[in-house]
Amino acid sequence: MDELIFKLNNVHFSYLHKYPALCGIDMEISKGEKIAILGANGSGKSTLLQLLDALIFPHKGRVEAFGRELNETDFNAASFCRDFRSKVGLVFQNPDIQLFCSTVKEDILFGPLQLGLDRLRIKQKMDAIVEDLGIADLLERSPHQLSVGEKRKVSIATILIIEPEVILLDEPTAGLDPQTARHIMDIIIEANASGKTIITATHDLHIVEEIADTAYILNRQKQIAKRGPVGELLLDEELLKSHNLTHIHKHRHKDEVHIHPHQHIDHHQH
Amino acid sequence: MRGAFKKNSFIERSLKGVFLVFKDSVLSEEQASYPGFLQSIDPRVKTATFLLLCIAVLIARNIYLLIFLYLFCLSLACVSRVSLRFFIKRTWVFIPLFSLLIAIPALFSFISPGEPLFSFKLFGLGLVITRPGLAGAVLFVARVATSVSLVILLGLTTRHATLLRVLRVFKVPQIFVMVLGMTYRYIYLFTEIVEHTYLAIKSRTGGLIHYKKGQSIVAWSIANLWQRSFKLNEDVYGAMLSRGYTGEPVLLEGFRSSLKDWVWFCSVAIIFVFIILSKIWMS
Repeated sequence: MDELIFKLNNVHFSYLHKYPALCGIDMEISKGEKIAILGANGSGKSTLLQLLDALIFPHKGRVEAFGRELNETDFNAASFCRDFRSKVGLVFQNPDIQLFCSTVKEDILFGPLQLGLDRLRIKQKMDAIVEDLGIADLLERSPHQLSVGEKRKVSIATILIIEPEVILLDEPTAGLDPQTARHIMDIIIEANASGKTIITATHDLHIVEEIADTAYILNRQKQIAKRGPVGELLLDEELLKSHNLTHIHKHRHKDEVHIHPHQHIDHHQH
Repeated sequence: MRGAFKKNSFIERSLKGVFLVFKDSVLSEEQASYPGFLQSIDPRVKTATFLLLCIAVLIARNIYLLIFLYLFCLSLACVSRVSLRFFIKRTWVFIPLFSLLIAIPALFSFISPGEPLFSFKLFGLGLVITRPGLAGAVLFVARVATSVSLVILLGLTTRHATLLRVLRVFKVPQIFVMVLGMTYRYIYLFTEIVEHTYLAIKSRTGGLIHYKKGQSIVAWSIANLWQRSFKLNEDVYGAMLSRGYTGEPVLLEGFRSSLKDWVWFCSVAIIFVFIILSKIWMS
């Protein structure tokens, strides 16, 4: 049996105890898996990632990580906190949240310094990561001077340097040009190939097949509508349409205007 | 009812001024990355030596010494590849602000009595400029000009983030340095939000708007900005926790000094000692 990393059992979470964000979520994620969490805007994808990163805790139900239930009081213990934070990394959707230091270099070093890693080792890892991501020339710049694509790459670097077992990504390709999006996807695929568990929240279906093997679809009731292999779910047009993951596409073939539902995948059939 | 409408030129001018200051600040960051002399000096040593030079300016009572220090500052700007025209323009913008209000009254006999140089009447009032008054005012302006030039040169040749890190050397707590850095980081983001909000309002209302509606829009924008900053504050704290922050930040100082830095430090120390000795000899 594969090593279980996360186990969620009937998890409920609401903001201000008034506005439900997740209702009765059950999930099991094993080591090395590539998971996609799909859903329309406001379906609770980001909230779910924050729960998995133990930034928020369920109001009802259980979240287990690495065989232990997560609760707020455990994170007061420095050793547990450090252990968990070095195993799980979250790349936020908005890079302006992720990059809060004065320079790119400080941002990349922030995580490993807080986690007490050896300084020489940090330096070596940083050199390797910035080289891989092609961001070496950005190190001394302030995050506000970067383009969206550069910010996204730096955000990923801030997590990769920690070398976590699990990488959570919130809409990693949103707002990126195709070439930068491709680069980000390659980074994700490479991280998974090196044994890391990848959990990506997105509604961009054309990247899902590459960055995930299994997908969960969240519905408007903030529940899991369906779980299954990505290939199967992407073929279920009705399911995708009912969860706002396809749209009506209108275009012209010679003189004829043609209308059909359109998934955001590379090859769609007419 | 055209009289009931007002142009928002004051708000527009103020916003444009703020954006200009920030853009200017970004430009000066570029100068800090030029391969010049001061840029190559360890920021800790550079800050300490500039502090020494500022103290020397305060101590110096001889106009020739001040002129020497000012020319020294200009030559430092040259070897640091800072555009002299840009540097002088930037410096002399501040000097009237800091010095004229004090220096002008000091010219006259009612503040500085002594040998009269020049007299004239203003609104029937006889005014006399005296030699000690003129000498004092020139000395004061020279002192302000040199101090301001040194401070601006330090700012131009050092990245703002690095200057903040230097504060650690002076035993400023890490949390304070970090908060300052984050403030500097996010002020750009909020400036952008304000700029975009203003443009969005302008695109929908045109140039003219009733002042009551204008007040309501400004109040709403302030509230909106506050709400955004509050949300951002929560999210950034989450991002910090996610990367292992536990309340005591650990920051990298990463400064390294070389022989060149110590040669520079010794040269400035010699100038400093010379100015102190000259003050002793003169007194």
